[in-house]
Amino acid sequence: MNPQSLDMLLDSAGLPIIVQGITGKIGSLHTELMLEYGTKVVGGVVPGKGGQSVHGVPVFNTVKEAVAVTSAKASINFVPAAFFFGAAEEAVRSGLKLTVAITEQVPVRDTLKLLKLSEENNATVIGPNTPGVIVPSRTKIGIMPPDPFEKGKVAVFSRSGTLMYEVAYHLSRSGFGQAIALGIGGDPINCTNLIECLDWVHGRKDIEAVVVVGEIGGDVEEKAVEHLSKKGNRKPMVAYVAGRYAPKEKKMGHAGAIILGSYGTAESKIKTFEGAGIPVALRPAEIPVKLGQVLKR
Amino acid sequence: MRLLEYQSKRLFSSVGIKTPRGSVARVEQDAVDAARRLGLPVVLKSQVAVGGRGKAGGIVKVDRESDLSESFRRVKNLAIGGLRPEVILVEEAAPYQKELYVSIVLDRGLRRFILIASAEGGIEVESSGGRLTVPLQDGQVSKESAKELGGKLGLGGASLDDFVDIAVKLSTLSSKIEAVLSEINPLAVLRDGRLVALDAKVDVDDSAIFRHPELAQFSAAESLEAEAAKEGFAFVELDGSLAVIGNGAGLVLSTLDLVVDNGGKPACFLDLGGGASKDRIYAALELVNRFPKASKILLNVFGGITRCTDVALGVREAYEKGVISKPLAARISGAGQEEALQILRGLPVKVYTTIEETLKAAMT
Repeated sequence: MNPQSLDMLLDSAGLPIIVQGITGKIGSLHTELMLEYGTKVVGGVVPGKGGQSVHGVPVFNTVKEAVAVTSAKASINFVPAAFFFGAAEEAVRSGLKLTVAITEQVPVRDTLKLLKLSEENNATVIGPNTPGVIVPSRTKIGIMPPDPFEKGKVAVFSRSGTLMYEVAYHLSRSGFGQAIALGIGGDPINCTNLIECLDWVHGRKDIEAVVVVGEIGGDVEEKAVEHLSKKGNRKPMVAYVAGRYAPKEKKMGHAGAIILGSYGTAESKIKTFEGAGIPVALRPAEIPVKLGQVLKR
Repeated sequence: MRLLEYQSKRLFSSVGIKTPRGSVARVEQDAVDAARRLGLPVVLKSQVAVGGRGKAGGIVKVDRESDLSESFRRVKNLAIGGLRPEVILVEEAAPYQKELYVSIVLDRGLRRFILIASAEGGIEVESSGGRLTVPLQDGQVSKESAKELGGKLGLGGASLDDFVDIAVKLSTLSSKIEAVLSEINPLAVLRDGRLVALDAKVDVDDSAIFRHPELAQFSAAESLEAEAAKEGFAFVELDGSLAVIGNGAGLVLSTLDLVVDNGGKPACFLDLGGGASKDRIYAALELVNRFPKASKILLNVFGGITRCTDVALGVREAYEKGVISKPLAARISGAGQEEALQILRGLPVKVYTTIEETLKAAMT
């Protein structure tokens, strides 16, 4: 993960992006919705479909061609899992420093290969299996509905999609707008993980507080808290962890949401957050209440 | 996809990892035939994909042929973690001097595959501290690193040679079939120092199965879970009586928590996934209504790209076609929620825009 990629997203007035898989049903629908929101979609890429246009956006055969013509800086990837890696590789190798990988059910070895490739190329890949990232009132590179999100100074990092919308809705209603809301993804491996997000947010003066929306499975929340404790200081933060009553050894919808033995329980995550003085909300509606307390409002 | 022990062992054999001689028994006579061919004593092993089979009584050593039938019936009829075996693995009981542990697993924190080994195998290995780990380059174990690790476990001679061979082959297999876990516990050191995989546990990456048609033979039999998967739903059976449906894994998990916090007991977890259209809502309600454990249904949809009106139309169709007979409470929130309430007017469903109200209705 390259923190400058996220800085670029937050600091540019309209980041030009391409849509990989733009001619598919989902790709086309979300191109339209992103354009409506004000996202600068400058091109689409589908091999063999160059020359067409989707919602007025020109389609190219290759990422290289699209970048040369449009000067795009980022990509959103809707390409189906079987062809996902090839498409994502093309984006990274074409010099794009930010890729948002919406695709679900990507084989984990393809994700690991992509992670390595992105590190070698100093690029950021968000996802896979993410709803994307939104800078409210400015741009969204993702599939989230716009209504729950309002402009503000809170950063939301979430392992889940719909839950991120629900959390944003409660935050917005209570006057806590968001500077950014980013889905790190529901898979076991996230190309940009929670630790990297928290490190990045630390350097942002325009972000006042952080909400972490975690869930069962893995130990990314525990590792992140350990990392923050080592660093010493952090932004005001509230956490929420879904799945307190999830059964063990069962994959709960997300490939990454699984408790193995005592590894990945909500209990462990909640204990770790609370042990570090980070309040944990018990339901989404409680998040703004806890955040208000943390910010002494 | 978690494979059964005998399936995992077939894969081990295919790459040359040694396992005990044995065969699979569906009925008593199969077990008798196998025991005669293998020679007594034999071990009967329940083929269910859950841990702790030994402790639960699912693994039984049989010394005399006269005990075989009764032991077989006992193991066959024993439910472990709610699961009963379809088949029993009958294996030779080879005497051994020591148990080791070895596995290749995806480490989510390191974002890499790692090799784990321990000089103490057996059922307590998960709680024991003496585990050694090696991060792997592209998932592959090198001979050099395996040799170094084997040395640290105190192995030498034929045992060390076998350990290196097995660790390398295990990583080759793991990459080939795209496993997220390949485990040998215990890896037994026989009296002559040779190593044999007494148990085998393989979990294949569900997202990669599409490119492994050779593994299709191992997929589970028909179940509501499998039927749901065909529809693109994630379905998990739970112990209670309130079926919980929602759009998005995190949202459904969060709903389960709210249900339990308020004294309810979920019967299942059903994630509709993204883009829940009218047809998908209909299919999910139809499926859950047939689920015997469920006496009531709670639907939680946070609309966005999923349009609230589509959700309502799906619910209405389910009533019109008579596929819902169980009480339904629905929370439908987001763009178009007012219209959705209009569509559902006059139907027996209780509809609200907040989860708190819906929960209350579902519980009474």
